[in-house]
Amino acid sequence: MYPPKFDYLRADSAANALELLAANPDAKVMAGGHSLIPAMNLRLADPGTIIDIGRVADFKFLSANDGYVGIGSGTTHAEVAASSDVPSALSEAAGLIGDPQVRNRGTVGGNIAHADPASDLPTVLVALDATISTVSGSGTRMIKAGDFFVDLFETALNDGELVAEISMNQDGANTGSAYAKLSNPASRYAMVGAAARVTVEGGVFTAVSVAVGGLTPKAQAAPSVGAALVGQAATADNIAAAAAAVQNDLGDDVMGDIHASADYRRQMATVFVKRALTKATERAG
Amino acid sequence: MIPSPISSHSLPRVDALGKVTGQACYPGDITPNNLLHGKVLFSGQPHARMISMDLSAALALPGVVAIFTAKDVPNNEYGLIMPDQPVMVGLGSSKPHSDVSLWEGDHVAVIVAETELAAAQARDKIEIEWEQLPIVTDVREAMKDEIILHPWHGSNILHKYQIRKGDMAAGWAAADVVVEGSYTLPYQEHAYLQPEAGLGYIDEEGRVTIEIGGQWTYEDQEQVAHALGLPADQIRIIYPAIGGAFGGREDMSLQIVLGLAALRLQERGIKRPLRIIWSREESIVGHHKRHRAVVHTKWGATKEGMITAVSSELILDSGSYAYTSTKVLGNAHLMVTGPYVIPNAHLDSYAVTTNNVPGGAFRGFGGPQGAFAAENQMNKLAEKLGIDPVELRLKNVLHDGSILTVQSPMPPGVSIDQVIERCAAEIGWGDSNQLSVNGHQFSSIQSLIANPQSLCHGRGIACSFKNVGFSFGAPERCEATIALHGQREIERVVLYHGAAEVGQGSHTVLKQMAAAAVGVDISQVELVMSDTATSGDSGSVSASRMTWMAGNSIRGAAEKALAAWASEERPAKGYVRFTPPPTTGYAEETGECMPNFAYGYVAEAVELTVDVETGHIHVDKVVCANDVGKAINPMLIQGQIEGAVVQAHGYSLMENLWVENGRIRNPFFSQYLIPGIKDIPDHVESVIMEIPDPIGPWGARGMAEMPFMPLAPAIIAALHDATGVWFDEIPLTPARVVAKLREHGIGG
Ligand SMILES: Cc1cc2nc3c(=O)[nH]c(=O)nc-3n(C[C@H](O)[C@H](O)[C@H](O)COP(=O)(O)OP(=O)(O)OC[C@H]3O[C@@H](n4cnc5c(N)ncnc54)[C@H](O)[C@@H]3O)c2cc1C
Repeated sequence: MYPPKFDYLRADSAANALELLAANPDAKVMAGGHSLIPAMNLRLADPGTIIDIGRVADFKFLSANDGYVGIGSGTTHAEVAASSDVPSALSEAAGLIGDPQVRNRGTVGGNIAHADPASDLPTVLVALDATISTVSGSGTRMIKAGDFFVDLFETALNDGELVAEISMNQDGANTGSAYAKLSNPASRYAMVGAAARVTVEGGVFTAVSVAVGGLTPKAQAAPSVGAALVGQAATADNIAAAAAAVQNDLGDDVMGDIHASADYRRQMATVFVKRALTKATERAG
Repeated sequence: MIPSPISSHSLPRVDALGKVTGQACYPGDITPNNLLHGKVLFSGQPHARMISMDLSAALALPGVVAIFTAKDVPNNEYGLIMPDQPVMVGLGSSKPHSDVSLWEGDHVAVIVAETELAAAQARDKIEIEWEQLPIVTDVREAMKDEIILHPWHGSNILHKYQIRKGDMAAGWAAADVVVEGSYTLPYQEHAYLQPEAGLGYIDEEGRVTIEIGGQWTYEDQEQVAHALGLPADQIRIIYPAIGGAFGGREDMSLQIVLGLAALRLQERGIKRPLRIIWSREESIVGHHKRHRAVVHTKWGATKEGMITAVSSELILDSGSYAYTSTKVLGNAHLMVTGPYVIPNAHLDSYAVTTNNVPGGAFRGFGGPQGAFAAENQMNKLAEKLGIDPVELRLKNVLHDGSILTVQSPMPPGVSIDQVIERCAAEIGWGDSNQLSVNGHQFSSIQSLIANPQSLCHGRGIACSFKNVGFSFGAPERCEATIALHGQREIERVVLYHGAAEVGQGSHTVLKQMAAAAVGVDISQVELVMSDTATSGDSGSVSASRMTWMAGNSIRGAAEKALAAWASEERPAKGYVRFTPPPTTGYAEETGECMPNFAYGYVAEAVELTVDVETGHIHVDKVVCANDVGKAINPMLIQGQIEGAVVQAHGYSLMENLWVENGRIRNPFFSQYLIPGIKDIPDHVESVIMEIPDPIGPWGARGMAEMPFMPLAPAIIAALHDATGVWFDEIPLTPARVVAKLREHGIGG
C-alpha cells in the first residue's frame, strides 16, 4: 500500500499554514499523519499537496487557568495523557488511544478534524462540553463540541479552516470524569466508548453529562442518562438503572462489524456508560 | 545391539542463531542472479465455468515474459489423497471438468515478468468471462446432492465412515442418564509467520527444481512429477528455512506452478530462475483451513458413571477439493468417543464437498473436532451424574489392551489415567473454591474498567489421546542414512534425512538422536537435510510422528553404520527404511480396524475469569500434563506445549474466519484475530511426563499436537463452572458469550 503522488510543503506558523492553504486549493494539512497517511494508502484521500503543520509552535501548548484548560491542536495524545491539568476523562481517553507510536505522533486537532466515528476524543469532548476554536482566512470561530461533529468523518469546519485550540472546564470540586471503552482488539479504536462527568454533592448527583461514541456515526450526547440521574443518590443501583437510559439516545444508526455486531455494541453501550459513571463518581468523591 | 542411552538435554535449536540474526534464508529471501518474478491469478469464483480468457492486454505490458494457463499443464490434476483438483482452471485442459472453478482460490494463470510489479499489473489485465453456477456452502444442503460439485464422484459426500459396535438398544437400556449435545466448530487459519513463497529453476543436472517450504519433500516431488508428466527423479525439491507449517504446507501451494513455469520457460530457451511470494491475503485465501464441523452426539451412562452407549453424527465441511479430508475424517471419527471404553457405539462421520475453502491438515488433524464433542459430553455427564469429572474419566478411560470402538485392542503403553491424575493434582483439583489465581484483576483488554461484580471465575478439565504416525493402513515409513567418517576413531557423523524443520525443532532433536545412536558428541554430527537429491523419504512432519519415526530410522541406520565401521568400511554407511507395525483401514460396515500403532496422551486444566457483562474471557492458568515418553529435549517440548496451548486458545476464543458465499471476507490479521501477547493465558504450566512408549525410540512418544486437543473443552468446562451455562460453539467471542449468558439472565 503506497499513497498516490503528492507535493509536500511545511508551514512554520499558523498564519503561514493559512497562506499555503489559500495558495494550494488541492492541499490538505497534516499534523501527526496517523489518519491522513493511512487514508492515502487506502486511496481514500488523494490530496495533491500536503502542508505539514506538525512543527507549528502556535498549535503546541497546554495551559490551565482559572478552572479552564486550553489545549493547542498540535498537542499529541501522549502529552494529553500525561497532563494532570485536563479532566480525567480526557487524559484517560488519550492514554487508551492505539499504541505508543500513535500516541506520540497523533494530535488532538488531527483526531477531531478527522472525525472518525471510532475515535475516542470526540466522545470525551462532547461529554465535557468542550469548545473548539478555529482559525481561517476570515478570522476565528468558537464551536461547541456538540455542534462540531456533524456526521461520519464530517465536521463543522469550512474549507481552509483549521482547529487551533480545544478548551474546557477542568474537573472542579466534587466533580469527576472518566472514560471507558470497548476496544477493537486489533487497532484499539473504540467499538464503544463512553465518557461521563458527574458532580456529587451531599451524596446526590447535581450534574451529570454523558456521551457515547464508537457505535454511532458521530459522538453522541446521552442526555437521557443525565436526566435519569440528576437528583438521585450516588449509588451503584441508581447508576446501573440510569445507564440503561443511554438506549434512548443511540438512534437507529448503530454500526457493527466482524468484531462486534450492532446488537452487541448496543448492549455494551449500557455496560460502558455504567462503568464510566461508576469511575467518575468515585473520582468526584 | 543394546541401544545406547540418550540423556534429556535442552540443546538450543541448531537453527536458532540463523533465525534470530536474520541469516537464515526463507524461500522468499533467496535472490539468485537474473531472477524472474511471478504472480498467480486466483479465479475468485466459488463456482463458475470459464467461457473465455483473454491474455492479450496482459502480454502486451512491458516486462511480461510469459503467462501459463491450464492448457500448458501436461497432466492438469493433482491432490494429496486423490487427484481431484486442476493445477489450473481453464480452457484447453488435458483433463475434463477443469474449466469449472469450485473455489475462489483456484489458480487460473501464472504470470512471469521481469519485476513483481509488472507481473501484478499483468495479472490485473487478464480478462476472463465466467458463467456463474449455483454455489453450495452449507454441508447439510450439500448432502442433499441437488447440485453435485464433482460430477465424476456422483455425490457431494466425499467420504463416509461408520462404526457399529455392540448392541445399541441394550446400551441405551442400561443407561440411567443420557446427555445429548450439538456442537459447532469453526475454521482455523494456520497463520504461520511465513506466507507461501518459492523458487523454480532447472538445476545443473537438468532437474526441475523447486525450493519451497513444505512438510514432505517426497510427496511434493511425486505431485509435481504427476502434474508435469515427468519421472520423479526429474523433479528436485529442496526445503530452505521454513516459517511454520502446522499442517498448512502439507498440500501443494506454489510447487506445481513453479515447476511448470520453470519447465515451460526452459522450453522457450529461457533458463532463468523464477520466484513467487504470496502476500498474507493470498496465503489466507490460497491454502486450506482446519475443517469446520458439526457434531450431534448422545452418550448414555449408568448412575455409577459407566458409559453404556454413544451415538454420533459428525460432518466435516471439506470444501471444494479433497486435500486430506478423508484422513482427517478418519481421525475425527475415531476420536469422537474420546479415550474411553465404549461398549456400544453407532457412529456416522461424513466429509462433505462444498464451494468453500478446502479443509485439510492442521495440528490435531480431526482430533480436536472429535475431542470437543467427547470431552464436552463427559463434562456434561459428570454434572448430570453428580460425579467429579476427574473421577468419571478415570472410571472409563482406556488401558493397555482395552478394546476400541473399532474392536481392536489399544497398543501397549496407555497412560491416559496417569496423565489425568497428574494434571488434576498439579492444578489442585478437588479444592474447587481454591482457585490459584484469586481475585485476579481482569486485564486482557487494558481499557476495561474492571468491575469486580461482573467477574466470575471457573475451572475445568479435559483430556485426549492422539495417534502418532500415519493411521488406517496408510503406508508408513521413514528413511535415514548415516555415514561415519574417520580412520581409527569416528570423527564425523553425517545424517542424511528428509525431516522438514518447520520451526518445531526436528533438526535439533534428530542431531541429538544421531549422536546418541552412534555414541558420539553432538558436535560431531552434521546434518544433510530435506533435499530429494541427497536425503531419503522421511514421510511428512505431521501426525506428531517425526521424532518417533526418525528416531527409529536413525537408530536402525546407526546400527548398520556401526556394523560397517566394525568391518572396516570407510566411510561406514548405514541406510534404513524403517516401518512400524502395520495398521488397517476402517471396515465398511462395522468400522473394525487396527487404526494406529502408537498414541500420545494429554490432559489439561484451565482456570479463567469471565466478565459476564462484556463476555470477555481471560485465561489465568493452564496446566498441561503431556506424556512424551522420553523428553529428549525438554525445552523444545515446553515450546510445543506452550505454542499448542496458545494456538488452541485462539481457536477457542478469538479466531473467526468469515466465509460468505464461498469467499473469505477477512483474509487479514487486522480482522482475522490470532492471540497477541496480551491475549494469551497468564500461566502455562507444562508438566512433562515420561512413561515410555514400548516401541518409541528411547521410549519417546509423539507430543506436539496433543496439547492442542483438550483446551477448547477445558475452557468450556471452566466457563460453565464460572457461569452455570454450557457453550456448544466456539470461538467464544465476547458477543457470543454475552448473547448466551443473557439468554440465561446473566450479566444483562
Ligand atoms: C494504528 C492506529 C490506531 C489508532 N487507534 C486510535 C484509537 O484507539 N483511538 C483514537 O481516537 N484514534 C486512534 N487512531 C487515530 C489517531 O488518534 C490519529 O493520530 C488521529 O486520529 C489523527 O491525528 P493526526 O495528528 O495524526 O492527524 P493527521 O493524520 O495528520 O490528519 C487527520 C486529518 O485531520 C486534518 N487535520 C489535521 N490537523 C488539523 C487541524 N489542526 N485543523 C484542521 N484539520 C486538521 C488533516 O488534514 C486530515 O484530514 C489510531 C491510528 C492508528 C494509525
